[in-house]
Amino acid sequence: MGEDLAGAVASATALVAGHAAEWDRTGLLPLPLLRELGAQGRLCAEVPVEYGGWGLSSLTGGEYTAHIGSLCSSLRSVLTSQAMAAWTVQRLGTAQQRADCLSRLTGGGLAAVAFSEPQAGSDLSAMTTTIRHEGGSVVVDGRKAWVTAGHYADLIVVFGRFQDGAAAVLVPADAPGVRVRRIAEPLGCRAAGHAEVTLDSVRLPLDQVLGGHALPLSLLVTTALAQGRMSVAWGCVGILRACLAAATAHAADREQFGRPLAEHQLVARHLAELYAGEQIATRVCEHASRCWDSGSPEQVVATVLAKHVSATRAAQGAASAVQVLASAGATDGGLVARAYRDAKLMEIIEGSSELCQLMLAQHAVSRREPGAAAAVTP
Amino acid sequence: MTNQHSPLTEPLAEPDTVVSELLDFLAGQTRSPWSPETDLFRDGGLSSLFAMQLVVHLETRYGIAIRGADLRLDNFRTVQLMSALVRRLQQARADGRDG
Repeated sequence: MGEDLAGAVASATALVAGHAAEWDRTGLLPLPLLRELGAQGRLCAEVPVEYGGWGLSSLTGGEYTAHIGSLCSSLRSVLTSQAMAAWTVQRLGTAQQRADCLSRLTGGGLAAVAFSEPQAGSDLSAMTTTIRHEGGSVVVDGRKAWVTAGHYADLIVVFGRFQDGAAAVLVPADAPGVRVRRIAEPLGCRAAGHAEVTLDSVRLPLDQVLGGHALPLSLLVTTALAQGRMSVAWGCVGILRACLAAATAHAADREQFGRPLAEHQLVARHLAELYAGEQIATRVCEHASRCWDSGSPEQVVATVLAKHVSATRAAQGAASAVQVLASAGATDGGLVARAYRDAKLMEIIEGSSELCQLMLAQHAVSRREPGAAAAVTP
Repeated sequence: MTNQHSPLTEPLAEPDTVVSELLDFLAGQTRSPWSPETDLFRDGGLSSLFAMQLVVHLETRYGIAIRGADLRLDNFRTVQLMSALVRRLQQARADGRDG
C-alpha cells in the first residue's frame, strides 16, 4: 500500500495551503474538511485495509503526517488524536469492537482521546475518572482536561479507573451527561479543538469498555501514547521542514548591508542548525518507524527518543526561523509564527520533554554494562 | 502496519524452547541473568515501557496477536507465564480462534 502517497500529499496541499493562517486566527478547522479526510482514511493512515483503512506502514504514514504537519499543526493534531484513538481500539479492543469502531474512524467519524485531568497531567496515576459496573451497564464519571480534537469528536476514548485496574471506554460525544467545552485560546495548534470534557453519570452499554477487562493503568496509557508520540514526532519533522524552507528562501532573497542574509555568518549558523535539526529529527523518526514496521521491541524506546528529539529540535528550529525572518515572520498566523507557538506545545504534550528524559535515562541505566563502574574508578 | 501478522507456517513452539529463548532475550535486554519464576515487575523492577517491549517481542517472535484482556500484566509477570501465554495463543490460532 501507499502507492497513492504522492497523490494524497498533493491533495492535502491543495486543501490546506493558503488557509492555515486563517484557521489559526479563528481557532477552527472546517468540519467538512475533517470529514472528507476522515472518510478517505487519511486521519488514521495506518489502520489496516481489512478495517477500511489506508493501510500505510509506520514509515509511509509518518511521511504523510510530516507533510500535514508542514502545512498546519492544528490539522496534524486532529490526525494524531484520530490515529491514537484507532490504535487504542486496535490494540485493546475485542474483534467485534475493532470491526465496528475502526470502520467508523475510517468512514468520516472523528475521535479524540481523553487522558489528562485537572490534577493528573504528567502523573496520570493520579487519575480519578471512574468507570463502574451498574446493572448491565457501565457508568462513567470524571473531568478530562486538554482533550485534543475534543471539540470536533463524535467519539471520545476515555481512560479511567475500572475494577482493580483501569480501562478505556468509548463514549459518544452526544451521550447524556457528556459536556464538551472548547478551550478558547490555546498557545499553539489553536484550531486543534482542545476541549475540557465533563462526564456526569454517563451510562453506556457494557460492550463500550475496550477489551471488557481491567488492565494496569500504566500499560494502558503507555500503549495508547506510543502511537501518539510517533505522530507528534513526525509532525515536528513537518514543522522543521516548513521552517527550513521559509528561512532559507528569506535568507537567500533578502539583502542587508549589501548582501543576502545567508552570507552573513551569524544568520548562516541559524540555517545550518535548522538543516541539522530537520535531518536529525527525520533520521530518528525513520529509525523508530522502521522498528514499528519490523516489529522490533526497540520500537518502544525508539518512539520516546523520536518524540523527545523531534519536539526539542522543532522548538529550537522554529525559534531560529522567526529570528531569521525577523519582522517578516513576526505576524500572528504566519507560518513561522505559528510554528513557534505550535512547536512549544509539542514539548509539552504526549509526554513532556522532562518525562521523556526520565524514561530515556531509566532505559540507559537499565542497559549499563555490568562492572563498568569499576573500570572507570582509578 | 506493525503487529499485523501474516499467517505463519512455523510449528507451535515447545514450552521449554520458549522459556530458554525468553531468558536469553531478557538477559540481552537487561544484561543480567533471570530465572523462569522471577517476578519481573515486582522483584525485577522492570517498567511498563519494558512490558510493552515484551509484548512486541512475543508477537513478532511467535506470530501471535496479544490483544484486549490478554494484555493483563499477570501474563507477563514471569517467563513461565509468558511461555504459557504463547502456547495458548498459538494453539488458539492453530484452531482458528484467532482474534
